[in-house]
Amino acid sequence: MLDGVTKRYGRRRGAVVALDGVSLSFPAGSFTAVMGVSGSGKSTLLQCAAGLERPTSGRVRLFATDLTGLSQRRQAELRRRRIGFVFQDLNLVPELSIAENIALPLRLDHRRAARADIEHAAARVGLAPAQLKRLPAELSGGQQQRVAIARALITRPDVIFADEPTGALDPHTGQGVLRLLRTAADGTTVVIVTHDPQVVRFCDRAVFLHAGRVDRMMYAPEPAAVARVLHELGERGRG
Amino acid sequence: MRRGMLMRGWMLAGIRRNPGPLIGTLVAVVTAATLTVASVSLLAAQATAPAGRLAGASVVVAGSTQVSETTGHGEDAQTESAPLSAYRGVPASLAQRLAQVPGVASAAGETGFPGGVVRPGDVDLIAVTARPGVAPDVLAQRIKTALVETAPHGGRDYTIATGAARGDLANLSVAAERVNGRTLAASVVPVIVLIAFFVLAGTTALSVSLRRRRFALLRAVGATRGQVRRAILGELALLGVAGGGVACLPGALLGAAGARALAAHGLFPPGSTAWLSPWLLLISCGSSVLVAALSGWIAARRAGRVSPAQALREAGAADPKWPHPVRILLGLGAMAGAGALMTATFDQNAPDSQLALAGPLLMVCMVAVALLGPLLVAFAAWLARSLCNVAGRTIGGPSARLALASIAAQPRRTASAVIPVALAVALVGSIYFANQTAIHNAAVQSASTVTATDVLSGDGLTMSVLRQAADQPAAAGEFSGVHAAAGLAPITVAAADPDLEQIYGEVVAGGPLSQVLNLGVTSGSLTSLRPGQIAVSALEAGSGALGVHTGSRVTMYLPDGTPYRATVSAIYSRSLAAGDVLLPADVVAGHTGTLPGFTEILVSGGTAAGLAAVAAGHPGLHVASRSVYNAQSQQASAQDDFANNMILGVVALLAAVSLVNTLVVATVERRRLLRLLGRLGTTKGQLTAMFGWHVLFVAVTGVVAGIAAGAATLLGVTRAQTGAWTPYITAGPAVTIIAVVGVLTAASILIPFRLMTRREPTLSPLAS
Repeated sequence: MLDGVTKRYGRRRGAVVALDGVSLSFPAGSFTAVMGVSGSGKSTLLQCAAGLERPTSGRVRLFATDLTGLSQRRQAELRRRRIGFVFQDLNLVPELSIAENIALPLRLDHRRAARADIEHAAARVGLAPAQLKRLPAELSGGQQQRVAIARALITRPDVIFADEPTGALDPHTGQGVLRLLRTAADGTTVVIVTHDPQVVRFCDRAVFLHAGRVDRMMYAPEPAAVARVLHELGERGRG
Repeated sequence: MRRGMLMRGWMLAGIRRNPGPLIGTLVAVVTAATLTVASVSLLAAQATAPAGRLAGASVVVAGSTQVSETTGHGEDAQTESAPLSAYRGVPASLAQRLAQVPGVASAAGETGFPGGVVRPGDVDLIAVTARPGVAPDVLAQRIKTALVETAPHGGRDYTIATGAARGDLANLSVAAERVNGRTLAASVVPVIVLIAFFVLAGTTALSVSLRRRRFALLRAVGATRGQVRRAILGELALLGVAGGGVACLPGALLGAAGARALAAHGLFPPGSTAWLSPWLLLISCGSSVLVAALSGWIAARRAGRVSPAQALREAGAADPKWPHPVRILLGLGAMAGAGALMTATFDQNAPDSQLALAGPLLMVCMVAVALLGPLLVAFAAWLARSLCNVAGRTIGGPSARLALASIAAQPRRTASAVIPVALAVALVGSIYFANQTAIHNAAVQSASTVTATDVLSGDGLTMSVLRQAADQPAAAGEFSGVHAAAGLAPITVAAADPDLEQIYGEVVAGGPLSQVLNLGVTSGSLTSLRPGQIAVSALEAGSGALGVHTGSRVTMYLPDGTPYRATVSAIYSRSLAAGDVLLPADVVAGHTGTLPGFTEILVSGGTAAGLAAVAAGHPGLHVASRSVYNAQSQQASAQDDFANNMILGVVALLAAVSLVNTLVVATVERRRLLRLLGRLGTTKGQLTAMFGWHVLFVAVTGVVAGIAAGAATLLGVTRAQTGAWTPYITAGPAVTIIAVVGVLTAASILIPFRLMTRREPTLSPLAS
């Protein structure tokens, strides 16, 4: 839940306001797309919501925990226990095998990663056990995204944040990855930042950002309607 | 602790699966550890002199072989001691007393020079043999007790030796050389080890900064700062152990070779062997782990602090463009420190080794260059861009602009390549030219110091030869015979105050000195030097440790430990040729452990025939005119510079390893850029030109910065040695140093570039 979150980059004059008093909440188990044209502040919103960046002002709460007041260490612990991440690219540590990448949040948390759990998480995203020993470079882009989803799921997080998860994939593979995320998440809150209208097929809600503010929301969004809104926002930005 | 171990075991996968980026660090660790091991084994080198002529004696008794001075009182009292190079002498009658000690079979006095009685009634030492069944140690204890009862000062002033310790009594110079060798090693080794670790720190920081995005990803998925730090430190610790282990053997071999070479050149006692022990392995691994971890600490902290969100944005954004303000402040502080050190070195006495003086100044200059590198690169890039745009015309084309743009966008990255280039130039240049300046100045000074018309040199230059040379009959038609004739012999004395500092000087006889030597007397007179007088160089007298003026009373310990109390009768400025003290030969005779004699006799006036007649009477004696003599001594001093050449060689090697290592790592890291440009349709030729411009920029900026840092050091050293600001720089070696650095820079960037382009499909010859 975000409450009046403002994020400014730079100081005083010439400062860029990326988020301007955004208040938003993501109900448990919801599947939300945060949309907007480039520079609308959607990536910053995700980073603030996930505790990767500290907002300049305002509060971010994850269930009962206030992220803004937490120490760096507590934030890191929270990330590996209750939050899962999927990024556009560079998701995986290239030196670690697929199994090791999936188990990474557990290992960082000093927990045992049972072979069965890893295989189960891999199976949920459609990865065969034989692929677990491979290194990321040996996998296709779509497969790498599946590994990232498996890694996000392994800790059974409260919320998964995905930043343009389909950005580096072809439309077909992208749809496959999203379908997977939808089914695998199964009750987990998911927040996806994207400018791809096709993504909203799998979402309960779309939130549109413009110039750092929430412009509007759309429930049970349709790709065509979303594309129109995005076009309109783009035109407005130009004018 | 357990948590930390777990983390490391897991994260070390990087070393196993992708060791590429770490090879550079490993090379630096191995280099630094090799030098550390070699240095330690040299510092702890043992020299056991053979007992030689004393091998038959069970116990050897001699006068104390060192001179001691106690300064301060009560709790603050500090005793300094220095080894003697000549026997103090013991009364010959002591042999009879020792013969009566129970268990002694025989006791005989020995004198090293049967012909020349050193002091009437004295012998150098007494060799005692034990009766069968009496252990040498037991006998030594009995002799000690007997000496305490009978000798005037108790047993304190005697050295009683058994077993291996007899070697030191058989050859006194071993102990003195041991001390000299240690002093040399102790002044040089820390500087070399520091430089090695400076290099290591740079490589470590680079290897960490190149992987910042990876560490950012770890932070994003929930690694704490501490976990990222521990992963990096764990990795470095492992590299430290591996590198230390690998370095142990070459380090020990290098140390052994170094000890042999130093002994061969008389800088270490003969028979010196480097210290070899399993402990070296521990020292090697331990020190490299410690230093790798220390040097990685800052890099690891920075990597841990990086905001994951920022690091996951576009490539390159992870690196802050500008150095931290603290770094800039520290860099400016280092520059100010270099200035302060430069002025401080003016007040220093001329040191035994150029590096001992240059070391601290050089280190501070290097730190300043390293800290301010990014600013320097940014400035140089701005300058180069302005040059390219002179008068609206663009010089260099798109490749040059592309190269400069990438440099200007990432001054920190480029700085990591420029810094080792600058360091190589500064290190090698300042050390080499500091040596050259010292040699040159000594030669120039000695050439203008000797004003005698002829110089006699060779063996057997005794007092009687000096008398003959001085008393040549005047040739027919000449006004007079010889105006002046003086004998010179080198000597080392220890100044009583302070700290028994060793001072090198000359023993002089005959005169008047002013007619054969122009020493630049600044106060007093050097016409003749009588017993009870001493002449001191301005360097030693003025700002040096001695701190005396004409008329001051000083005490010098002669080679056999006899104190010589004298009044300073003259102070002279030209000390590079004649050393820092002049003593009258009469006083020194019998206290040097050698027969009285000279290495040179300087003659003014007389005739060639007269001198030839003197020489004819003494085989092994040569006569040379002043100019011939000067040329010979100049040549000899240039060759006899082994220690400095060895230091220079080690430093040059270190600089080259660091340069190649860093540049190769930094170039391989640009693979992404290469791939991107290739895909954008850049031809192979354009890329080659771009990297060529990059080489030019790195080499020119590095060489200029290196010259600046090296010049600061060189000027400081020159000023301290000669009082003038003019170092002796010859074009040949200067050009060679710059050319070698330039070639190494080009090779370390362009060879990896070639290999990378060959592997990139988009850059195959077909695509270009």
